[in-house]
Amino acid sequence: MSSAPGEAALRRNGSGWYLYGVVAADEAPTELGASPAVDPEHEVVLVREGPLAGVASQVSLEDFDDAALPERLGDTDWLEQKIRAHEQVLEKVLAKASVVPCRFCTVYRSEDELRRFLDERSEALSAALDRVRGLVEIGVKVFVDRERFAAARATRNQEVQELQARASSAGGGRAYLESRRLEQLVSRELERFTSEAGDEIHTRLLAAAKDGLALPLQAPELSGREDEMIFNGAYLVNLSGQEVGAALEALAAEYREAGVHLELTGPWPAYNFVPAELGAT
Amino acid sequence: VSSRELESYRSGQPAQLADVLERVLDKGIVIAGDIQINLLDIELLTVKIRLLIASADKAREMGIDWWEGDAFLSRGNGRGELEQRLRRLEEAAGLPAETEQEPSSS
Repeated sequence: MSSAPGEAALRRNGSGWYLYGVVAADEAPTELGASPAVDPEHEVVLVREGPLAGVASQVSLEDFDDAALPERLGDTDWLEQKIRAHEQVLEKVLAKASVVPCRFCTVYRSEDELRRFLDERSEALSAALDRVRGLVEIGVKVFVDRERFAAARATRNQEVQELQARASSAGGGRAYLESRRLEQLVSRELERFTSEAGDEIHTRLLAAAKDGLALPLQAPELSGREDEMIFNGAYLVNLSGQEVGAALEALAAEYREAGVHLELTGPWPAYNFVPAELGAT
Repeated sequence: VSSRELESYRSGQPAQLADVLERVLDKGIVIAGDIQINLLDIELLTVKIRLLIASADKAREMGIDWWEGDAFLSRGNGRGELEQRLRRLEEAAGLPAETEQEPSSS
């Protein structure tokens, strides 16, 4: 600690209120389970205000003050732990009630300010809640196994077949060139296929969901799969997931032969289907 | 609302960090004003890239290192492997390839 003691240090010793999300007061779960809060010193509680309740916990401003946070965010272990805590608290709530999730690190200086927010923004928050009531978000990630794709194409595409035959019968430098050409052809085919498959999968899932959107693709290092991600989507669906489940099954069956695999994540709080910004009035 | 219905979605594995990150750090309501911390003020991009790289490091520690082996090389052209990886990480984190200045409109 290099900063001089004084007002700033005193302020940092205090605590703030971390808001995870907002639920309707009459749907609020009576117990929030044993989810560890972002600050394990404090419990997750409901802050009831009128028709709404904030899912919140106190946090030490030693960690969560705007002066301290940039440094903390540089500690990846700390950050991952907090981000996962945020998500797990909301998952517990989601199992019992509809919830409007807040973005990571929504911190109020005091309980009073948190209550004032719930009161003043009650209308917008209720509207956001109405939109996600009885619904959850699911993630759908689509991968393609390049080798299986190439093999499947070979059975249907004559050019691929010919190149494959030539590559395997030729020797030395010639074989290398042929296999490079084959590689390039497969790449072009794959590119065309993935954009078409992505569109088709998204369109059909949208039809089975209340809403949906395409997310940026994830790097292969992060997906934990060797296969290439060709589509990443988020959908707002019924709790039962029946319609979207049927659509997923059908799509998985149709695309399996082409080396395509669909991966489902969630259910998530509807992070992608709440307003990006709820401004102060 | 039954939690049993929700359970039917689950694959039984904890969520992957990348899936949590793209939601908790990027989505959800953002509240302006009257707030202790506005995360939008903080350089989130570097935070995200750092986390993503840490996640890759962790996988490597656990022995999941396929992308450093033949499987990775055989898919690329063997050149600029690190560059490609970094580019992908940057793309995943939403970083534009070349940072351009916002047009200064007034």
